[in-house]
Amino acid sequence: MRTGFRSDAPLLSVKGITKSFFGVRVLHGVSFELWPGEALGLLGENGSGKSTSMNILGGVHQPDGGQMSLGGRPYAPQNPREASQAGIAFIHQELNLFPNLSIEENLFITDFPRRGGVPFIDRRWMRKRARELLVEVDLDLPPTRLVGNLAQGERQLVEIAKALHADAKVLILDEPTTSLTRREVERLFSIIERLKSRGVGIIFISHALGDVMHICERMTVLRDGAVIGTDRRERLNLPTVISMMVGRSIDAIYPERITKPRPEVALRVRNLTQRGVASDISFDIHAGEVVGLSGLMGSGRSELARLIFGLDPLESGTVEVAGTQLMRPNPKASMAAGLAFLTEDRRNEGLLMEASIADNIGLTFLRRFKVGPGVVSGQALNNTASELARMVHLSTDRVQDTLAKHLSGGNQQKVVIAKWLLRRPKVFILDEPTRGIDVGAKQEVYRIINRLVEEGGAVFLISSEIEEVMGLSDRILTISKGEITGSFERSGFDREAILAAAMAPAGPQREAYT
Amino acid sequence: MKTTRRQFTIGALTAAAAGTMPMLVQAQNGKTIAVLFDGLYSEFWVAGMQIIKDEMKKRGYNVLEAISDKDDNKQFEQVRAMIARKVDGIIIVQTDSKAVIPAIRAANRANIPMVHFNRPPAETDAYSVAVVADNQTIAREAVLHSCRTAKQAGGKYKAAILIGNLGDPNAIQRRDGFQEAVSQFSDTIEVVARIPTEWNADKAFAGLTNALQANPDINFVFTSSDFLIPQVTQALKSANKWAPIGAPNHVVFTGFDGFPTAYELMEQKYMDACGVQNLFYETKLAIDAILQMQEGKKPERILLDPGFAITQENMMEKRGEMWGYALLNQKKSG
Amino acid sequence: MLVSEAVSRKVEHDAGRSRWKAAASFVLSEYLVLALCVLYTLVMIPVVPEIITVEVWQNILSDMMPLLIVCLGQTVVLIVAGIDLSVTAVISLASVVGASVMTQSDGYLSGPLAAPGAMIAMLLVGAAVGLLNGISITRLNMPAFVVTLATTTFFGGSAIWYTTFHSTTTSIYDLPDMFISIGDRDVMGIPISVLVAAAAALVVHGILAYTILGRWLYAVGKNPRTAYVSGVPVRTTVVSAFVLSGVLAALASIVYTARMQTGTPILGERILLDVIGAVVIGGTSLFGGKGKVIWTVFGVLFLVLIDTTLKLLGASLFVIYVIKGSVILAAALVDTLRTRYLGVR
Repeated sequence: MRTGFRSDAPLLSVKGITKSFFGVRVLHGVSFELWPGEALGLLGENGSGKSTSMNILGGVHQPDGGQMSLGGRPYAPQNPREASQAGIAFIHQELNLFPNLSIEENLFITDFPRRGGVPFIDRRWMRKRARELLVEVDLDLPPTRLVGNLAQGERQLVEIAKALHADAKVLILDEPTTSLTRREVERLFSIIERLKSRGVGIIFISHALGDVMHICERMTVLRDGAVIGTDRRERLNLPTVISMMVGRSIDAIYPERITKPRPEVALRVRNLTQRGVASDISFDIHAGEVVGLSGLMGSGRSELARLIFGLDPLESGTVEVAGTQLMRPNPKASMAAGLAFLTEDRRNEGLLMEASIADNIGLTFLRRFKVGPGVVSGQALNNTASELARMVHLSTDRVQDTLAKHLSGGNQQKVVIAKWLLRRPKVFILDEPTRGIDVGAKQEVYRIINRLVEEGGAVFLISSEIEEVMGLSDRILTISKGEITGSFERSGFDREAILAAAMAPAGPQREAYT
Repeated sequence: MKTTRRQFTIGALTAAAAGTMPMLVQAQNGKTIAVLFDGLYSEFWVAGMQIIKDEMKKRGYNVLEAISDKDDNKQFEQVRAMIARKVDGIIIVQTDSKAVIPAIRAANRANIPMVHFNRPPAETDAYSVAVVADNQTIAREAVLHSCRTAKQAGGKYKAAILIGNLGDPNAIQRRDGFQEAVSQFSDTIEVVARIPTEWNADKAFAGLTNALQANPDINFVFTSSDFLIPQVTQALKSANKWAPIGAPNHVVFTGFDGFPTAYELMEQKYMDACGVQNLFYETKLAIDAILQMQEGKKPERILLDPGFAITQENMMEKRGEMWGYALLNQKKSG
Repeated sequence: MLVSEAVSRKVEHDAGRSRWKAAASFVLSEYLVLALCVLYTLVMIPVVPEIITVEVWQNILSDMMPLLIVCLGQTVVLIVAGIDLSVTAVISLASVVGASVMTQSDGYLSGPLAAPGAMIAMLLVGAAVGLLNGISITRLNMPAFVVTLATTTFFGGSAIWYTTFHSTTTSIYDLPDMFISIGDRDVMGIPISVLVAAAAALVVHGILAYTILGRWLYAVGKNPRTAYVSGVPVRTTVVSAFVLSGVLAALASIVYTARMQTGTPILGERILLDVIGAVVIGGTSLFGGKGKVIWTVFGVLFLVLIDTTLKLLGASLFVIYVIKGSVILAAALVDTLRTRYLGVR
């Protein structure tokens, strides 16, 4: 083993770390230990202190109090550089790679190998070393390939290879599985296992509790800046972990709905066709009904939603909302007819990150606050925005001052939902409404969906989490290669059958991942 | 917001308090003259500015200078700033002869003498004095000399003139002077190219090059300003027409302004004659006019610098009055 | 030490600190540029004592006005993450078009209609150029920088060309008194140009702060994708911004032309950097989504103040450029530091 650490002492020990920002204490004495060769799951809702703790470990912030030690020696990094020199590698959710550089250039970006004393890069050595590193992470690609041409999962492996090159003793992974396909997740896990066997300590942060339970030997749950508990995997189960995280017991993840779908059709889609995206898609959604759409990445599930809402050009086919046919497909017309669309890209299409909560909410229906020709009442807008914020349980009271970018992922998603609720939509298309948000926020989103359909709205739900689709939908459609391949009534929901239908015509489209 | 409003008030009050402070008296050794040029686009203007400043210092004046960079509005603002500084006189070179009139009015209201250096304003009821070279006469005399030289040498001549900016009365007068001279020699000289340059060196070069292609037998060139000499030289060289006096392919070349390069070309016998503005005399005229106006007198609106034509014949005796020669000497002596 | 003494000291200390804090918060607030103006004025008093005279401040005020009007339009365009380089050409072209309509020597109109007719023509020129900019940018999907660079070159040249048909010289003179009075008359002691600029500033402020269009402008500047998905007519919004900028540039041209009493085709040629500089110094972001009329007012004040002191100084051109550059750089630096430490704006 390369590391000189003994396995009878903790690799990393964090004791009583405290930290305040602008006088607000965000960490109240966080302590945990990481042993060589183990994976520690770090769980907690957004704002529980996970990110701050990890930023302190990574040298981004300095603690106000408490001690850390790494390999038995005191550890107090003043900046990220010192942290990485000490052997801590932090792999962020948004990867830190240069898409316009090759894999090898990315691997050695901080310390290009020199030839002797001359300031020229030793390309040959670099390529050889890059190949070795790629073999270690099971990535069978030429080191000269541009990172921009890699799939998300491959990029992540490049980041891990980079950490290996830096001889990392502790690897922190922040939400590593969110944007990966199942197969990529499995490969990542096998590499994590290999690293563990070499004595590397892993800190695994994720909202995907299943993944955490699968790969981590122990789990530490944080809430409100303090450690609620740490225990071995065998002694924990999902409901316990969730109730530790949210501070109360969760009876059912998917809340009951009391109403049934009504007979009238809210959304009628007929023969929707756009080459390479959708072929001859027809279906109905009734008022008071949730229809789920299940499909693999690249199956055309998001694209279908965009076609219906009029964001992308449409070759042929018709969309009717509550009996009115949409003539010219564009967002404005769709909204006027009663459609709402929560896109999967919250950052770039859902929110104005630099605008306040109120401005974000009001944007979809400014005319509602008209007090004169073209003039809007800011007061009325703020009042309504506050009301909607309360309705979606947005935990902030200053809707006109708080910028969207300062909110957690869950709260951001609630703002997007609120801005569409402002229009009282007849049909709400939700594309990945719970991606990257914590358990508590997820449940609140589910409740909002329920209330919406109970009041007669229709919901078209797209999600990559099959449990979510099954838990919420009255009916599930499966899509593959732009075609509807199956339809399941709630009474006939069967996980295996739905997955099979979603993969129907001979495997996923993008074979490039393997 | 509330605190910032209060702070804003405090800030405003501080500024107001500062405003009521007794004005610091600046050291006023002697009088101050403002020199406002529209640009230092050629050696002529650089030399003009320098000669004015030197002369002012000699007489014990402070000089404030400003360049408006061909922006009439900016120059107007400069004039008002100088009025606010209570200068004793303004020497101005404007871009546009009409747009300068509001500035003259402002100076009139403040009772500050204004003298236009080298460029007269358009006709107006506002009072100011312009010191101008007698462009037409100077141009005519210089071109006449060249015409006589040409006639003596014999043969027919095809002439080209580089005309300045038509918004500049000086340019028009130089063109007219040229016209007067060549019309006296219509049997020998035919004007085949009138090239508008808008006082732009690139346009001048392109225009002359085109003219030389259209009329390869051009052998008589007049430039309305010496600052275009490099372009003329280059165009003639390209056409294989750059030769000293006496050579068969010599082009009779007449300049205007009296630049150092013009003197050098005369000395090297590439240039036949040059109309010279007497910058020293013009500076003296301008300062004298300001002095008179301060005493309440009203000098003529136009003060003429008769200038002179320097030719191959009178070069030795006249060069002392040529500013370009003086500048060359200064450079040589370090 | 007595307890009461200690307490009173502490109170004093706290009061001093909170006063200091309040002063700091003012300096670091959106009034920063105004604070810099005050500071700069105080610093300049020993150098150019005239800076604290009423006459100089009248000059500063009147010099600010036309520039402010152009800058208002540029602010709107920068808010939608565009840039309008064509304002200078609009000023020049509107100036000669207006002058050709109303000149008393052979203009298109005469009598009492001449001046109003000419002003309408000038505003139409501005609106037309703005519309062309906006449509090219939204329909042909070209960057604003390139489109307006092209239009500024084209219309700047057109202005000179147009003049050749209406004048034997480079400018058009002999404008009616009614028009010239915009440049040099007062209404109840307030110069007309100040009234025009104040009205323009209030209108633009009103649009930005209280209207649907205003909210659309900010939304499109912050993120056009999100705005589009949320049903904002993105193209119309962008076109409106450019039309507004063109019309305001034409309005500035009216003030400039009246002031010079002459229509000249190079009227606005040199002010582009001042326009963009003033708006950006005020705090409006070049990347869109952020900007306010009051910031721009301060930015223009700051730039004109520097210019005025340098004019009063009568220093040579090179010194002026060095000083102006340094002061602007210092202002930008303070702004950056403030943004970093406080995260304001």
